[in-house]
Amino acid sequence: MGRMAADIGGTFTDVVAFDEISGELITEKSLTTPKDLTDGVKDAINLAGITPQSITFFVHGGTTVINAITERKGVKTALVTTKGFRDILEIARGNRPDLYNLRFRKPTPFVPRKLRFEVSERIDSNGKIIEPLCMSDLDLVISQCKQEKIEAIAIVFLHSYSSPYHEEQCSKYIIEHLPDVAVTASHEITREWREYERANTAVLNAYVQPIVQDYFNALETSLNSKGFNCPMHAMQSNGGSTSFEWARSHPITLVESGPSAGVNGAALVGKLCEESNVIYLDIGGTTAKCSVIQGGKVTVTTDYKLEWSRLNPGYPVKIPVVDIVEIGTGGGSIAWFDKVGSLKVGPLSAGADPGPACYGMGGIEPTVTDAKLIAGVLDPNYFAGGRIKLDLNKAEQAMNKIAKGLGVDILSAAESIIRLADADMINALKLVSIQRGHDPRDFVLVVGGGGGAMHAATLGRELGVKEIIVPRYPGYFSAWGMLATEPRKDFVLTRLRQIDNISVNEIKEIFSDLEDSAKDYFSDDKDINIGDVKFETSIDLRYQGQEHWVGISVDYSRDSLDSIKKNFHIAHERAFTFSLKSTLIEIVNYHLIATAPVPRPSSNSIKGGFDESQSFKGKRKVSFGEDGVHECHVLDRECLNPGFTMEGPLLVEEKSATTIIHPKQILNVDSLGYLHIS
Amino acid sequence: MIADSITQEIIRGKLLATADEMGIVISRCSMSPVIYEVLDFACGVCDPKGQLIVQTNGITLFTGTFALQVQSIIRRFGDDISPGDVFMTNDPFDGGTHTCDIALIKPIFIDSKLESFAIAVAHWSEVGGAVAGSISPSATEIYQEGIRFPGIRVCRNDEVQPDIIELIRENTRLPTMCIGDFNAELAAVRIAETRVTEIFTKYGKETVRKTFNYILESSDKLSRQAIRDLPDGIYSAKDFIDGDGVSNDQFPVCVEVRIKGDEIAFDFTGSSPQRNGPINCAFGALSAAVKTVFKALVDPQGPSNEGWFRPITIICPEGTIFTAKKPAPTGWYYEGSAQASELVWRALAELAPDQLSAGSYMSLCAAYIFGKDPDTDEMFVHIEPAVGGWGAQSDSDGTGALIATTDGDTYNYSVELFEAKFPLRITEYSLNVNDGVGAGYWRGGFGAIREFEILINDAHTYCSFGRSIEKPWGLKGGKEGTNNYMEIIRSGILKRVSRISHQELSKGDKLRVVTGGGGGFGSPLERPISLVHEDFLNGYISNEVAKSDFGVVIDENGKVDDIETTRLREGQ
Repeated sequence: MGRMAADIGGTFTDVVAFDEISGELITEKSLTTPKDLTDGVKDAINLAGITPQSITFFVHGGTTVINAITERKGVKTALVTTKGFRDILEIARGNRPDLYNLRFRKPTPFVPRKLRFEVSERIDSNGKIIEPLCMSDLDLVISQCKQEKIEAIAIVFLHSYSSPYHEEQCSKYIIEHLPDVAVTASHEITREWREYERANTAVLNAYVQPIVQDYFNALETSLNSKGFNCPMHAMQSNGGSTSFEWARSHPITLVESGPSAGVNGAALVGKLCEESNVIYLDIGGTTAKCSVIQGGKVTVTTDYKLEWSRLNPGYPVKIPVVDIVEIGTGGGSIAWFDKVGSLKVGPLSAGADPGPACYGMGGIEPTVTDAKLIAGVLDPNYFAGGRIKLDLNKAEQAMNKIAKGLGVDILSAAESIIRLADADMINALKLVSIQRGHDPRDFVLVVGGGGGAMHAATLGRELGVKEIIVPRYPGYFSAWGMLATEPRKDFVLTRLRQIDNISVNEIKEIFSDLEDSAKDYFSDDKDINIGDVKFETSIDLRYQGQEHWVGISVDYSRDSLDSIKKNFHIAHERAFTFSLKSTLIEIVNYHLIATAPVPRPSSNSIKGGFDESQSFKGKRKVSFGEDGVHECHVLDRECLNPGFTMEGPLLVEEKSATTIIHPKQILNVDSLGYLHIS
Repeated sequence: MIADSITQEIIRGKLLATADEMGIVISRCSMSPVIYEVLDFACGVCDPKGQLIVQTNGITLFTGTFALQVQSIIRRFGDDISPGDVFMTNDPFDGGTHTCDIALIKPIFIDSKLESFAIAVAHWSEVGGAVAGSISPSATEIYQEGIRFPGIRVCRNDEVQPDIIELIRENTRLPTMCIGDFNAELAAVRIAETRVTEIFTKYGKETVRKTFNYILESSDKLSRQAIRDLPDGIYSAKDFIDGDGVSNDQFPVCVEVRIKGDEIAFDFTGSSPQRNGPINCAFGALSAAVKTVFKALVDPQGPSNEGWFRPITIICPEGTIFTAKKPAPTGWYYEGSAQASELVWRALAELAPDQLSAGSYMSLCAAYIFGKDPDTDEMFVHIEPAVGGWGAQSDSDGTGALIATTDGDTYNYSVELFEAKFPLRITEYSLNVNDGVGAGYWRGGFGAIREFEILINDAHTYCSFGRSIEKPWGLKGGKEGTNNYMEIIRSGILKRVSRISHQELSKGDKLRVVTGGGGGFGSPLERPISLVHEDFLNGYISNEVAKSDFGVVIDENGKVDDIETTRLREGQ
């Protein structure tokens, strides 16, 4: 055997394993078992017929961290901060994104005022100590924390990104005196400036740390007792994985592990297809998510905000997270009329319960899935491989109110919903691509998730990508992405300097320091050979006076200051249509991405050898939206030969997805069994 | 067959995405913190008549101001508008706000026919004039408020006129920043041209024109529906503006709101004549102030366009503090327009408690600190609006430390960024629990204290804070909130000010920007005792305040004394 990934979701536990001997990919689903989550994992591998001893590398993905935060089930947490600044967490940034709402409410801080303590100390922006840390203040804080039975403490001092000295001193002292309390000093999670954002990050880490620590302890013990003795890793939010050990003390880095696994999978699909520029789209039940992979690299930012929306400032978390744009349109999104009778789709979703009307589980509102059924894209008898029978009558009943409202027939109503949903997704796809200076013609569109395949051809055509790729097992894409993950750690350091006042040598020194930290980080992992660790370096630059920066990759052994400047001007012009050649340039942040290569599953060729009667399942009348209604062939994905090619209109069915191909689009099946539509 | 309305919805989505993209471009490219942190800008797309079709705002001050500005360009240039042109205006007396707000307007032609206008407006940190930052609190004429561009052509055939750039460079104190902001706005209107052209090409001229109309009509309909839901009648409010910058007197202002059927009129007749100081608004700013609260009332989340505002009439004779005439100074117009918004808000608050809260700290409390950085030998100007306390709501306490109505998705300045950029230190940033808030069943939100220490010998400040005499109003028996002020601690002597035109500062001096708490809602004696106790434990209120304002007695162990509390509350 070989690597195995388990994606433990709220309802299902997905297991994907790669058999290195036969080259086969094994997928299985079981019900999640909340009491002991490893039972669900065990069930799934039993179903799949895998023995724990044969697993050589285990990757975990799950929702423990994000659930503990969104359900507010973390521990009693205190904040220790610089004197004069305990209200930073409550003042936040003071912004009102919902600007015409004159009853605006801010997100409630995770630490109430009475548990936010101040101590005298001060460091300036250059890292110079202005006032030493006052130990007697700290003693008082410690006794108050004891009295309040505090379980976790976050420490945030001003300018700790520049010098963490006081935070380190404070953390050490608190741990000595409160050995049972989980302590997070902000610099351990992020070395970027902005005190509110860093405070919130440290607080959230502390808030979930004891819970996640217990969780991984239990998980590890349980997996060991069941016979798993391989290295165990946890999927992070940056597209890479980390050891359980690190995850226990830095749990906040796991917050978006699911989406990050999908994006990571898309990058691997790109690599296997020799396409380095990928736009990834994942359509689930309630939302669609998209992200851009450029030059084979996943886009990672530290501007992530939990519970953010256009109307809600959310909670900033300064950790590296794959850059994802999420919109409230998915398969379960409900269509409705607003007060003046304009048709809208989402963000309200029928979810899994009751689900779309056609599930026959009590849903009466028309959804995107109902529209796809009416349009003929979905086969009522082959949804989820036939496990769920879809009820066309119920879908039509629900659709009737939309048809009446628009004054059209039922099919036109369904087509209208599909077009609106597609339009929302197009706007999101443009946001991550065109609006960030990328030309879609240089990209392929890779889709994942249950719903991606039936929207892909339409979206890809309007976006103007060169090709659309539907990988194998789109319904297991997130778990497959975990399987393909590498141990990874991102280092970001804020050091503001004018570029003309710095030498390439100094840049090199900063990066060597970061590389040393990276080696240190990986040295704890006995399965990783330090010599194999790979580094990528980039810096964020801006014109003096600007706030936002543009990141460019640098190679300090070859780049000169002039070449860095030149690349920055080009990157700025691409992103914002102009450059300012005579304006001074500042370096803001240094990024180092360290990855430890582990053998990744190679995707094996599909066998082929099917004859035509097996590939063609039959014919069906399908609406292709603007391209009209066609009686088209339905192909069975499991029985397509490598090299198969055919012009649309077409449908390709498999258990977890249906792919549509518009008239005049060409379908090609490659040797890996991936569908290419152009 | 797809219904027409679906295509129109799709086009509307694309137009909104265009306005959003313009906003992203401006905030990313700008050189001025007042643009990228305060988001003091707005972008939009108008139809060929100048009617606003879509708009994205960082703040509310530009709500519905675009039409007047685009129409001023149409009036001035008539047929002399060609593809590749870009126009620039900052004239408060021609639809603008104050000289610092510079609008760039680009006509968009499809097949050589004018089909649309793209517009971007942003607050430049400096446009010359009597003081650095261009907003002199004691200006008596607009000529002291920097250079005015009365609707001039800055690009021909998409080429920037170099003379204009030189004009900007030689008339502003921070030319690099100004030209950077000019470029940011230019990039925004250019992006809009590209996107709008794509939309016209894909869907055809007829369809897009019809969509413009559909957008306006559907909002008009929603707006009228919301007005019809309000009871017909006449609602009024009175207030005072505390000082105009030149004088510290109070100036009366008032509004009468008349609702009849599906129309609503706002009549400001009786408000103070225009002042010598820069607190004046011109009509454009007044109309934005009214539209802001009206939008809050009818549909806070719906995207803004001209249609919403069709049922509105604004009445105010010329020459008042809200309808000032040339050459009145308008630098601090947003302090005046905030008062206009508050008047409308107050007049309607009792009618619509589900949309409107009690009175807030209201004023942006903007403080300017400028000087010369001895390390770089360069001039710096720091401008920052302050967050403050908002009024209580019908079902919750007011929000504390939140930016005023006139702004919006505006960020306070990070202490760490601030200290890395300016030769100043922030020594405290906290909730203003000392002055308190308006008590009530629901209490107001807390103001904030921001204390600056000056680290250099050559620094200066000026400021203009409103609500320094009048207090934020309570609602339905809720109490008044507290005042805004600035404290200057120089050579150990403390001075309290609200609007000053200049104060010299040197090393070791301190400035404290203190904002007030919001008004309360309902009777404070009915506030649940547990909430009063929780406020005490969190240090929001002292035990004295718990007793005097809320009738709750807390003993020396921090526990509620139930017997004393009952006696006290029943006695009152």
